Amino acid sequence: MAVALLIPFTFQLEPASGLILLGAAYTSTVAGGAVSAILLKIPGAPANIATTLDGHTMARKGHGAKALQLSFVSSAIGGVFGVLLLIFLTPVLAQWALAFGPSHLFWLAILGVTIIGSLDGSSVVKGLLSGCIGLWLATIGFDDIMGAQRFIFHDSLAGGINVIPALIGLFAIPQVINMFAKGRKRLDAEVLEVERHPVGDAIREVLRRGRALTIRTATGSIIGLIPGVGGQIAGLVAYDQSRKMSPEREKFGTGHSEGVIAAESANNATVGPSLVPLLPLSIPGSPTAAVLLGGLLIHGIFPGTDLFDNHPDVAWTFINSMLIGQILMCVFGLYIAGLAARVAQVPNAVMAAVVLALAIFGSYSVQTSMGDVYIMAALGTGMYFLERFGLSAAPLVLGLILGPIAEANFVQGSMIANATVGIGPYFFTGALNLTMIAVVVASIAYSVWMELRYRRFTTKEDAIEKEEALT
Amino acid sequence: MKTLIAAAALAISGLGTAALADGHENNPARPVMMVSYGAGGATDFQARIVTMTAGNEDALGMPIAIVNRPGAGGRVGWNWLATQADADGYTLGAYNVSHFVAQSIEGGVQYSVDSFEPIANWGADPAVFVVGADSEFDSMQEVVDWAKENPGGFTFSGAGLFVGHHIAALQLEKAADVQLAYIPNNAGGAGAMRAVIAGEVMGGLNNLSDAFRPQEAGNVKSLGVFDLERNSFPPDVPTMMEQGFDIDNASVNYRGIMVPKGTPQPIIDKLAEIVPTMFENGSVASRMEAGGSPMHVMTRHEVIEMWAARQETLTELLAGL
Amino acid sequence: MTDLPRSQHIVASGAVALVGITVAWISWTQESAAAFLFPRIISTVFVVLALWTFGKALIGKTKVGAGLSRNAILAILPGLAVMLVYVFWAAAALGVYTASTVAFFILLTLYDPAPHGEVRSWIKRVVITA
Repeated sequence: MAVALLIPFTFQLEPASGLILLGAAYTSTVAGGAVSAILLKIPGAPANIATTLDGHTMARKGHGAKALQLSFVSSAIGGVFGVLLLIFLTPVLAQWALAFGPSHLFWLAILGVTIIGSLDGSSVVKGLLSGCIGLWLATIGFDDIMGAQRFIFHDSLAGGINVIPALIGLFAIPQVINMFAKGRKRLDAEVLEVERHPVGDAIREVLRRGRALTIRTATGSIIGLIPGVGGQIAGLVAYDQSRKMSPEREKFGTGHSEGVIAAESANNATVGPSLVPLLPLSIPGSPTAAVLLGGLLIHGIFPGTDLFDNHPDVAWTFINSMLIGQILMCVFGLYIAGLAARVAQVPNAVMAAVVLALAIFGSYSVQTSMGDVYIMAALGTGMYFLERFGLSAAPLVLGLILGPIAEANFVQGSMIANATVGIGPYFFTGALNLTMIAVVVASIAYSVWMELRYRRFTTKEDAIEKEEALT
Repeated sequence: MKTLIAAAALAISGLGTAALADGHENNPARPVMMVSYGAGGATDFQARIVTMTAGNEDALGMPIAIVNRPGAGGRVGWNWLATQADADGYTLGAYNVSHFVAQSIEGGVQYSVDSFEPIANWGADPAVFVVGADSEFDSMQEVVDWAKENPGGFTFSGAGLFVGHHIAALQLEKAADVQLAYIPNNAGGAGAMRAVIAGEVMGGLNNLSDAFRPQEAGNVKSLGVFDLERNSFPPDVPTMMEQGFDIDNASVNYRGIMVPKGTPQPIIDKLAEIVPTMFENGSVASRMEAGGSPMHVMTRHEVIEMWAARQETLTELLAGL
Repeated sequence: MTDLPRSQHIVASGAVALVGITVAWISWTQESAAAFLFPRIISTVFVVLALWTFGKALIGKTKVGAGLSRNAILAILPGLAVMLVYVFWAAAALGVYTASTVAFFILLTLYDPAPHGEVRSWIKRVVITA
């Protein structure tokens, strides 16, 4: 997002400064999105959805500063690891990234869908229902492959529903309305109390969770390599895997620090690897990487062998700017965490108005389109009421993100399959396909098991009641 | 270092950043050019380059602001230009032929060639047929021969339906009288190229400017250019015509500037006179060349003829779908 | 809990189910079949799940979701109205900046807990808006 907005500015700059700006913006958006995710339950980017689950609960319990510190420290560790992978293993990993064809990406999207069900842990059926609504919303507009018009009820919908306005609307607007709901009531009692939390403790806490951190960072890096899917779902997959493997799994969703660490280290670990296919092969691995490619081309710099052979200074400036960006981001973030108390003390009325104004500017500026603002407001208002009845925004957004991936790869895969080996062998044979299918089956089995054990999760019920008492 | 910190500060809140981009719209004293693709895309960055000298005294004397209205393969932006934009001479739009012509023939959009008035053309990017570097095919004839033995079995990627690549695919099927399996890619030209390099498909159609780099890097081989003459970029790639296929330049992706119908004639005439000279500015040409984008300047008169010819060919070609 | 949330649950899940049925109906009737293959699959699952929740709401077995209390509705309505007018009408008609300022001011007036009678709190509002 920020990268796209900055490109016109870099046009006027020297290649090196332009690249530094883009590199820094590219690294910092993902980590920066955690701030609003934790303090306001509004993820700044799709990658930060998983962070809201535990991060915001922590903030509401008064551990906002701690959550922010944890998130920035684990972001930095994940991020640096990802960039190091990019530096040292690019030639090896590039081939691996190419191994993912339509059938594998399809299964990956399906895996994401199965995670939808167990995402907030309260009700699998309602989670899946929200996911379905998201999947449906994703099909609105002109179909990319066939060019058919689907569900275009209004002109604004012709371009489909852009993920960013939808994300802003689905998360921010319900929060704004919630603030209305409690705005006029006693103010002082509602203010979030933010305790001071020493930075050293946060670093120690992150390191203590070393096992989680390593696994999540690795998960994030691997998922980040997969073209087109990477950054968007890495945080969620890592969060989900953490919860399933953790001995304290019932604590997830109730403000558990491991949840924040898992989500943030994984989603930032995707930043470096998502450039793996871009730099040597000139193939963008994520939507942001595609924008970045445009930014490089404006300066007459072609990613590919040309970049490292003829412009090594530029290439390394860019990579180093990402590395330094990660570290500065962390320092800056820790400083911000100290200020978190101020944000939390802003009265509800002011906060509601500020968030509303930002939501409108934000969704307008993605494509300078009022249509996006309408979509944002309509989705957001609808979401408020759905939330009151147990549907949640996270699976809905996940559906919205995964829908096009699942559909496009299914359609492309079946076209290729029909022309060559046939649907069955194409989607169901090969080591990679079988591995992905096994993971999908395991994930479904786990969800079913969760649903059966639902009533025994008393701590979870408590958590939900607490949440309702607070909102 | 300062820029780094500034960028970090900008990016710290995804919401906060977004507010920045606002503010350069609805300013009537300044020409605005609508680009119907996202920032950073090929059309977008070429548009920025060719209009960068608009502020010079010998050009328009005022800079042109670029506004992106992406969505649905350009349909959103062109619908807006045709129906909602002010035809006051300050509102320009970038066109991609064949895309918008093919879309209007396909239907479901609110524009056709008659909705717009061309000003001038700045670039032409022909389609090129590529195969993976380790492919058994070394010429178009070999591809066609293989496809004749395996009707519908030759898979090749392109950037979508009703775009230049799709038209090139239809032309190839018609000229060589074979059945092929065209796989439109949802991630555009870059996605289509990925599919070729990764070996997911046997070949692909792509933009010459985008195929040039993977070819230099040794990842793909280019077998034929879908244009009337060879291109100066990789001069050793033969045209389809040379290889015995009756395929003209109907699939070439022409980019240029147009205005909505109803723009006052004096303004159109003035723009049509100034804009081509603006494109021919030396700094524009060198920057386009550095970006690997083939220039092809055409006057308003030539573009009108080109649009009409395109309308005719495409109507015939797409009639069978 | 009174009966209020229960009937609300029925209405809400009924509305969702209705949307699902409409979507499914459109997907299954529109052509071309190839382009609507994916929507067909989704909408079918959508309808099944929506009817399931609707059924559960009917028999009163809904486990999560707090519903809306009367007070909450009264509290959000004016804000909601301001927001929707702002987004759908004022932002386009008055210009984004003017509309934002006005909406900002109204929201503050509505929801700021400070007493409305005092000049000081009004000045504070204007300052914050600016």
